[in-house]
Amino acid sequence: MPYLGSEEVVKELRRALSNPNVQADRLRYKNYITKVIRYMTQGLDVSALFMDMVKASATVDIVQKKLVYLYMCTYASDKPDLALLAINTLRKDCADPNPMVRGLALRNMCNFRMPGMTEYIEQPIVAGLRDKASYVRRVAVLGCAKMHSLQPNTEIDGTIVNELYALLRDPDPVVVVNCLRALEEILKDEGGVVINKPIAHHLLNRMKDLDSWAQSEVLTFLLRYRPRSDDELFDILSLLDAFLLSSHAHVAVATLRLFLHLASAHPTVQADALLRTSAPLLATCGAASRELRFAGLCHVQQVMRSQPGLFGTHYKRFFCGYSEPSYIKFRKMEILVELVNDENVALVLEELRSYCTDVSPELAQAAIAAIGRIARTYSEKCLDILTGLLGLKQDHITSAVIQTFRDLVWFCPQSTAAVCQTVGACVDSPQDSEGKQALLWLLGEHGDQISSAPYVMEGYIDGLKTELSSAVKMELLTAAVKMFLCRPAETQDMLGRLLHYCIEEESDVCVRDRALLYYRLLQRGVEETRKVVTGPKSDPSMSVLTGRQEEPISEWDSTFNTLGPLAGCDLCPQTAATSAADQPSCRAENELLPESTDVTLSSPDDAEEEISLSLGPPLSHETFEKMWLDLETLHRQTLGFPRPRAAPDTLQAALQLVKIQTLAFTPGDTVPWKAYIYTRSTETLILAELLQGDQQAPGSDESLVVSVKQQPVNQHAIRGFPSRSVVYRVCFSQVNQTNYTFVVF
Amino acid sequence: MPNHPVPVPSSVLAALKNKTIHLSAAKMIHSLFLVNASGDIFLEKHWKSVVSRSVCDYFFEALERATEPENVPPVIPTPHHYLINVLRHRIYFVAVIQSEVPPLFVIEFLHRVVDTFQDYFGVCTEAAIKDNVVVVYELLEEMLDNGFPLATESNILKELIKPPTILRTVVNTITGSTNVGEQLPTGQLSVVPWRRTGVKYTNNEAYFDVIEEIDAIIDKSGSTITAEIQGVIDACVKLTGMPDLTLSFMNPRLLDDVSFHPCVRFKRWEAERILSFIPPDGNFRLLSYHVSSQNLVAIPVYVKHNISFREGSSQGRFELTLGPKQTMGKAVESVLVSSQLPRGVLNANLNPSQGTYTFDPVTKLLSWDVGKINPQKLPSLKGSMSLQAGASKPDENPTINIQFKIQQLAISGLKVNRLDMYGEKYKPFKGIKYMTKAGKFQVRT
Repeated sequence: MPYLGSEEVVKELRRALSNPNVQADRLRYKNYITKVIRYMTQGLDVSALFMDMVKASATVDIVQKKLVYLYMCTYASDKPDLALLAINTLRKDCADPNPMVRGLALRNMCNFRMPGMTEYIEQPIVAGLRDKASYVRRVAVLGCAKMHSLQPNTEIDGTIVNELYALLRDPDPVVVVNCLRALEEILKDEGGVVINKPIAHHLLNRMKDLDSWAQSEVLTFLLRYRPRSDDELFDILSLLDAFLLSSHAHVAVATLRLFLHLASAHPTVQADALLRTSAPLLATCGAASRELRFAGLCHVQQVMRSQPGLFGTHYKRFFCGYSEPSYIKFRKMEILVELVNDENVALVLEELRSYCTDVSPELAQAAIAAIGRIARTYSEKCLDILTGLLGLKQDHITSAVIQTFRDLVWFCPQSTAAVCQTVGACVDSPQDSEGKQALLWLLGEHGDQISSAPYVMEGYIDGLKTELSSAVKMELLTAAVKMFLCRPAETQDMLGRLLHYCIEEESDVCVRDRALLYYRLLQRGVEETRKVVTGPKSDPSMSVLTGRQEEPISEWDSTFNTLGPLAGCDLCPQTAATSAADQPSCRAENELLPESTDVTLSSPDDAEEEISLSLGPPLSHETFEKMWLDLETLHRQTLGFPRPRAAPDTLQAALQLVKIQTLAFTPGDTVPWKAYIYTRSTETLILAELLQGDQQAPGSDESLVVSVKQQPVNQHAIRGFPSRSVVYRVCFSQVNQTNYTFVVF
Repeated sequence: MPNHPVPVPSSVLAALKNKTIHLSAAKMIHSLFLVNASGDIFLEKHWKSVVSRSVCDYFFEALERATEPENVPPVIPTPHHYLINVLRHRIYFVAVIQSEVPPLFVIEFLHRVVDTFQDYFGVCTEAAIKDNVVVVYELLEEMLDNGFPLATESNILKELIKPPTILRTVVNTITGSTNVGEQLPTGQLSVVPWRRTGVKYTNNEAYFDVIEEIDAIIDKSGSTITAEIQGVIDACVKLTGMPDLTLSFMNPRLLDDVSFHPCVRFKRWEAERILSFIPPDGNFRLLSYHVSSQNLVAIPVYVKHNISFREGSSQGRFELTLGPKQTMGKAVESVLVSSQLPRGVLNANLNPSQGTYTFDPVTKLLSWDVGKINPQKLPSLKGSMSLQAGASKPDENPTINIQFKIQQLAISGLKVNRLDMYGEKYKPFKGIKYMTKAGKFQVRT
């Protein structure tokens, strides 16, 4: 680029432009002007030629005029005094018989960004607003906005505003939209253009004459309008209906946004609009342009926050193509995780498995993390895949798998045993610091279940001198102390060495302080240390059960069709929230909170009547059956909601977390659907049957009926019934994702 | 968990969160920068005040972070602006946005700009843009004013600014006239906004091209994982006056997700599945559609492959045979097979039964220009690959990308039944052409 030596170039051009011979030859003259423009667009400063260029504006050649205008607009603010010389030519052009010349001159005059222009352009603009050629009117209308921005602090000219409002009725559709655009800018301080009922309806009726850009903008302006009555609302919606299926994705999406906004009080209308737009949205996700595909995916992700089921059957559309850019693949994986259900889980996992060996380590790791997310619901299948990946012996894959295991164990305690077995058998260890931290956390937290844990850890303690990351050292300290608490004999010696090294030789202050802390803690006694160091081994909140819930549309419709979601600052709240919680080191606070191992259920109104449940030894099928037949039903209640449509694994895991054991389920959608569950409370065993769709039980067509039996009968529990019933909210994450209330007695 | 390829600086995030979401549509596109593959800005255009080139530094940062040129995220937030870019023909079109705008709007607009350039110059390359810099500026000036899209229909634009042709350049040079339309486009005054009035032709003709692109992923065993067809009907209508056309299909129910040119009367389509419209003058896209139900999509080619690597051996086997299927007797032409072989492959020694193949040992890209598939003698490519000595067996077999064309066939089975014209007296010449192309057609091995 000719940033250097620009003076030479400018000198030469000036010589040529001022040469009378060149000026006489129109073609040569124009060629030099083109050259100036070319240099200007390449970033060379040619403002020194201003005088010569102004002279060139006096010509009949429109292209040459355009070029000179372009030049003048660029440099006018630097040379205001010289630019004034050009104004006369421009004003003369504003009265040219050719509307094209009039428009051109007016537009460029308005583009001169220099103070004091207003007095020259006001009169031509006002004349232009009444011009008979729509081309000139279009330019003049926008000129009003430009004129205002030249002197932003002056008072708003009421006559111009009124004129613009009147021009909203112009026969030319572009003039109409330009009026909106100009008014919006002029009235910015007053909150923009006012959309009242007549204007709103006028715009709605003109919609079909507008080009797609204008449609999209008008739809955005209409967001300001609130219909007075439901009748009016539905009139508007039916006018807009066809635009939901516009061939331009941006119009379809803008219409959808307006629909969601207007129909905020009518959820069924909103749902219907989402359903109808799902086709154009999916089409955008498959568009030829990557950028459009990406934008489409981001919008789908937003819609899925409220309507996760909408795209379930189209999951194959979100499989990644080999040559797609990574930003699309990341989004697609995020979507796939949300779309998993009983039917497609095998296919989706197989697909994700094939991404795990992608050339790009980031993508491979994202795919592994995605499998880990699915594992929270379908642990067994995913664990097989993840274990298989460890066999590839690729550093980045091993590290990602170990990190995924850590998160999985935290969110999904029932997979602990399998994970521990795999980790114990895994030969090679991760090389990066995140992977090391994850492995150490697993070793420390579940050392009792991994037989080789102390030996693996010893390796890390021996290699401490070469370890660079202080985060790994901190994690190692915590893990070693935890391990000492559960396997003291094997760990005592190495813990001593570790603490000695960290206190005496470590240069990092944080690590040294942490080691000192543990050392002093251990001096207080093992039990004291245990109280402080150990914490819950899994996520104590029930987020594993809740999974993704349907969010109300109002949560996201304000950012729908805006830049936020695409720029990555409106990631799904879940991913944002869990990424913080995923780090075990962030859990330090949780770990310090003492928590009893039994879940304590307390009724909100009566603190005395606490019932604590525990799992206790499992019952055999025969014992359960015998007891069920022997005992009398103590209580029966219709719950008023249908059975959870979750996978049996999920349901079982969920109930286990609230200390309820499952004995048997009716598989799938069989009617009647039954489930037998049991739990133990203080000195009593509680058995229950859940039933739906049985002809004999009244009220069970639509909702669950629960029958409860108890052995031995706990008078305390019966006397206070039903106020004593403890309401427990269990939210099932799968398929229909609705809240379920479970009543446990 | 890596959620997003590009970590957004926290200061930017904070700035974005505080940004109030105003329902304003003002100031759409502030400036446009054109950046070439080597990261040089070679053209800039400002519709409002001049934005310094340094704003593109944020874009260059993202470009540096991206491993591949196409991995640059389309929306890049900066403290004061958003940068929205599209990559076409190895040129980044970077729009500078100062306030909240609908993203799809800007992306589609940028694509429209590129389409227009392509329409005007035939190709949209850096050289073509630099050669036609004057027309480029004229176009950008007409397409946007004050940052708002104005005239983007190629019909109307071509009347405002005549496209450069070699002949016209010569004529202009001799006569000294210019390539600016002397008259204003009359379309602006017509009752039908997309059609100008007073159109006159000596030969009245209407051509429709049904073009389908098939996107598919085929797995190892040859079964289809996903397949969908994206179709368009492009029209070239040169008819005198105000003709009113109706076009009907033999099997309109095939079409999913149809989207129309604004000229199509949507009510009529919903009720009768007939396309009724007053066409724009010249070239336009009448409709685009999808066919995605799995069972409806016929896969026109099959691949028999045997690509294997043995543990401990420095040789790998490579066998590939292509064949037509479900093509309704039409020939599969312009077949091009490409595949990214694993990193461990040093060289490939193959023997094509027809066409030529190349293997680039640096990029490991194998491409085989097959040409036409002859059903009697199926094309095959067989041979061996030599692997790096001592390297372990590659984890995964390569994916094969196939490109092909089939003339006179719409693979979805879509057929035009008839085309009628009302409103004018003359008899137009009508033509319909079908074509199927491979879009993203991949076979996993």
